[in-house]
Amino acid sequence: MMKMLKLVTCIKQVPMVSELPWDPRTGTLKRNLADGMINPACRYALEAALILKNTYGAEITAITMGSDIAEEVLREAFAMGADRGILVSDPKMAGADTLATSLVLSRAVQTACADFDLILCGCHTSDSETAQVGPQMIEELDIPGVTYVDRLELDGRLLRLQRLSDNFIETLEMELPGLVTITTQRQAPRYVPLAGLQDAFTDKDISRLSLEDLDLDPELTGAKGSPTKIINVFSPTAEKDNIIMKGSARKIVQQLFDQFDDKIGGAIGKDIKDYQESQ
Amino acid sequence: MKHKLVRKTVRDFSEAELGPIAHEIDRDARFPWQVIEKMRVLNYFGLQIPRKYGGAEVDSISYAITIEELSKVCASIGLCVTVHNSVGAQPIKSFGTEKQKECFLPPMASGERIGAFCLTEANAGSDASGVETNAVEVEDGYIINGTKIFVTNGGICGYALIFATMTTGAGKPFTNVFIVEKEMAGFSVGEIEDLCGMRANPVSSLFLEDCKVPFDNCLGQPGSGIKIALTALDSGRIGIAAQALGIAQGAFEAAIKYSKERQQFKKPISSFQTIQNYLADMATEIDAGRLLLYRACALKDENKPFGTEAAMAKLYCSSVANRTTNLAMQIHGGYGYSKEYDVERYFRDAKVTEIYEGTSEVQRLVISRAVLSQHT
Repeated sequence: MMKMLKLVTCIKQVPMVSELPWDPRTGTLKRNLADGMINPACRYALEAALILKNTYGAEITAITMGSDIAEEVLREAFAMGADRGILVSDPKMAGADTLATSLVLSRAVQTACADFDLILCGCHTSDSETAQVGPQMIEELDIPGVTYVDRLELDGRLLRLQRLSDNFIETLEMELPGLVTITTQRQAPRYVPLAGLQDAFTDKDISRLSLEDLDLDPELTGAKGSPTKIINVFSPTAEKDNIIMKGSARKIVQQLFDQFDDKIGGAIGKDIKDYQESQ
Repeated sequence: MKHKLVRKTVRDFSEAELGPIAHEIDRDARFPWQVIEKMRVLNYFGLQIPRKYGGAEVDSISYAITIEELSKVCASIGLCVTVHNSVGAQPIKSFGTEKQKECFLPPMASGERIGAFCLTEANAGSDASGVETNAVEVEDGYIINGTKIFVTNGGICGYALIFATMTTGAGKPFTNVFIVEKEMAGFSVGEIEDLCGMRANPVSSLFLEDCKVPFDNCLGQPGSGIKIALTALDSGRIGIAAQALGIAQGAFEAAIKYSKERQQFKKPISSFQTIQNYLADMATEIDAGRLLLYRACALKDENKPFGTEAAMAKLYCSSVANRTTNLAMQIHGGYGYSKEYDVERYFRDAKVTEIYEGTSEVQRLVISRAVLSQHT
């Protein structure tokens, strides 16, 4: 009998609002001031895992790293169809950059689901946008991996993938076990069923792992194990200005292209100028 | 944490699926079957139906939050869901035989059959005992004749709970409840009503002309109709209070947003004390209503009496919905009076929450009876 496919999804709780207050002293976001949600790309990764589960049969372990409140995203993952939930939480992990995070998550996967077949991560997070954790886990676990995947199909131990890269769509094959990061392009995540949400709180238990459980040196985690330092964080400001143009239509059009040719698009401007000259 | 997630879950769904169509389905008085199909698989039609019959069996606070969040975006659909779950399914859950529960609850839990509660008639409503629809027992069931009016979900119902008066021999007339299935001969649906608000819900009359109903479709003991109606309405009031609260919250949020955007005298109108006072009153009343409602829900979940508290919640929340939508429209000024803005719809939708499932006057009757009997 074939072994049940073991899938792991790494999901991150991110703040729900885009404009978040941040601590100007440390350069980090004040996460406690906003409601949390599953990072959108992680939700797509979970959906990809659920589709694999529905198609081939699988057990899905959802792993998150964060404070106690991150339990929420695991409960939501249960409601959507995840089978196990692991909360990696330890005050010593606070202030982790992507390197320290990927080390902790990799060790958590090895501890909680050592016989995994496939790890699915979101391609990036909405609160930091680095897209580094997935690739760093690939390195840390020394397994094959493909990023920016938007379609996957399983053929025995071979995973056939479609990868989006700039102007190309690549079709790749990868042996399991491996890791993929999933884009937010293709399969919109399912809505959470209300019965599932009730079950998520009554029938499911969350396992907690601390640094000690992971047998990790505290020097390698949290702010201490993070070589990345945030130098500056700011909200970019967009400014609008209203300009009223006066005169005949011809004069206004001429003015528009004289002043904004680069913004409007040279080709259109040239066409109109050529047309005007030909008249 | 669970209730927070329920709110987020329903909000995400409502904003994505109902938000883009709420204005249009109100304008066209159209019931959005495509969205309903999505809601069916997400358990919106089996909210408080037990698991063994295919329901989600959520607690009452989760239920109230669900109705609140749906109604915040589209009160017509909040109404469809609450009427189906409370006064539609609840009587079968509470008074049905095991055979009736096994037969009728699963199709209701899946949303295959939408429920309707049919008490109101031309000469009955607040007076539940004034029902003129009558049922006569025959050899293999009952023959029902009568007309029900203003039936929420009337145009789409799969099961209609019909309250009818019966007489046996020289005894006093009594009220029974019958589960009438839409295919039954003699059952028909009237024109969809052209109403002020809740326009996407197909409210209609239902006609029963020599409608034959088997014995198995009679709910509860003979003569228990009024008890069933009043028990169902206790739960129903939680749903309508939640709906009213959702409408109020929707109007309140729209008013805040608009007051920050709208400039007069070169300042946003939210910087004026009059507008600030309006918003403060709205926020306070909505919060008070929410606490009244959740208290009734908590009592229900603890299997304690909750009828008076549910009546208080319904009375207060419906009144808050009307005051809040009125102020929200006032804050929007002329734009609020235009159908382009959601507050105009909220304003129309709010009114009926003071009327259906027990008018505000009846709620006061229920509350006053309780307080007078407590202080003898």
